[in-house]
Amino acid sequence: MSDLTLESVDRSGAIAETFDELTGGTRTDFFRKALVGGSALLAVLATPALAQPRNTPKDVAILRFDLNLEYLQAAMYSEAERLGQLRERTLDWSRVVGANERGHVKAIRGLLGRDAVRSPSFNFRGVTEDDRTFTETAVAFEDLTAALLKTQAVQVDSRRVLAALASLHSVEARHAAWIRHIAGIVPAAEAFDEPTSKAKVARLVKSTNFVTSLPRTRGRRKPGFTG
Amino acid sequence: MKSARCSGFGAALVMGGLLIAAAIAVVVIAAPSDSSPAGPALPPPPRPAFTPENVPLGERPVAYWAPVVAATTVRDRPAGSGTLAEVETRTPEGTANLVLISRQARRAAGRLWVRVRAAGSPDDVYGWVPRPSLGGYTPVRTRLLVDRVRLTVTLFRDGRRVFRTGAGIGAPQTPTPSGRFYVRNKLHRYDSPFYGPVAFGTSARSAAASDWPAGGFVGIHGTNHPELIPGRVSAGCIRLENRAILRLAHLMDVGTPVRVR
Repeated sequence: MSDLTLESVDRSGAIAETFDELTGGTRTDFFRKALVGGSALLAVLATPALAQPRNTPKDVAILRFDLNLEYLQAAMYSEAERLGQLRERTLDWSRVVGANERGHVKAIRGLLGRDAVRSPSFNFRGVTEDDRTFTETAVAFEDLTAALLKTQAVQVDSRRVLAALASLHSVEARHAAWIRHIAGIVPAAEAFDEPTSKAKVARLVKSTNFVTSLPRTRGRRKPGFTG
Repeated sequence: MKSARCSGFGAALVMGGLLIAAAIAVVVIAAPSDSSPAGPALPPPPRPAFTPENVPLGERPVAYWAPVVAATTVRDRPAGSGTLAEVETRTPEGTANLVLISRQARRAAGRLWVRVRAAGSPDDVYGWVPRPSLGGYTPVRTRLLVDRVRLTVTLFRDGRRVFRTGAGIGAPQTPTPSGRFYVRNKLHRYDSPFYGPVAFGTSARSAAASDWPAGGFVGIHGTNHPELIPGRVSAGCIRLENRAILRLAHLMDVGTPVRVR
């Protein structure tokens, strides 16, 4: 099975950005230009998604990366909750934080609209069924997400996106403190936190091999069933 | 005398208070105007681009399935020596082989083991496989009921009936096996009018077709003889009218548990 990594998922985002640069605007712009002169343009402009302030290409790239990370966290915590194999206090954390992360997915998807990427497929390789590895992985993800949002906060173009990321950041920091407490790690050992880069987060996610391709369950071979 | 001392102490307190108040006034007046308590007028905070709300988990799935990514043995207990079945990575139809997950995991002999339900012979087997031999888990919300008395097939999603149709089942000499099975794959665009436009492969095996070249697995498929449905007409498979199998293909996912009664 060939693994599809988050980096390769994000590569499609990079292609879209390049495409945007070539066409001098966003992909939405391109499709709009393609319809110029047609009555369809009026219909497209009338949709609520385009009535909102448009995200800049840089903000779209940042939000897409965050969306992938939120997909990953939401899927992992949801699976852990459904399987119910963790200790009770870890499951409690997963229930609460899973609902938060699913809310983050919904909100970022809503903001990105047509620019949203689809969720990759995941194989959590037993992490959702083993308390110790789940806790360690969750600490790593939550710490890194909080650190990444700090970096992105000074990179985004839109103050409205900045305000939204700030609202995510404090919640992710609470997740990190809570799961650190469960893991027996001091939640706030240092007076200041360092930001982290998108590349570092991508490396961590890639190292987990959680992002996979979907198995092939459809075929065109003539059936050999009993008939 | 005592009264005069108290009066003098009170006067000293008042004088001290006045001096402190005067000192504060001098500091405030001498300070630059932009460090006054009100400060300069700040712009209003921007409205966040989104305000997330918690999203509940939703309905509990009927089952989870996982692909077999490394051929393995289904064992009677975690790291046990008892062998129940061998599972391959591919089905006879060339698609990924699937197992259903029983939501039980144990650590044994340094590995994580999960309890699964796998295609066996003649019935599904329940046992333990190493977690690394499986891929990612996919939740399933549908289940299928095949009623051999009423000659019907009924699909439920999240516990609600969403589809029912008449079915052709195994003839008396080649009966459709009863029990609990699951859908392993979905085949389409093959060249065989006999199976109709779509065929689902299941984990069920016909006891009367154990020497069948492809393992004698029972399918759920269309037909080129719709006039025989409903009826006891097949070699073990569940035949539906083509219109019905196309509708079922739209509604039913792989991994769907199937109960034949």
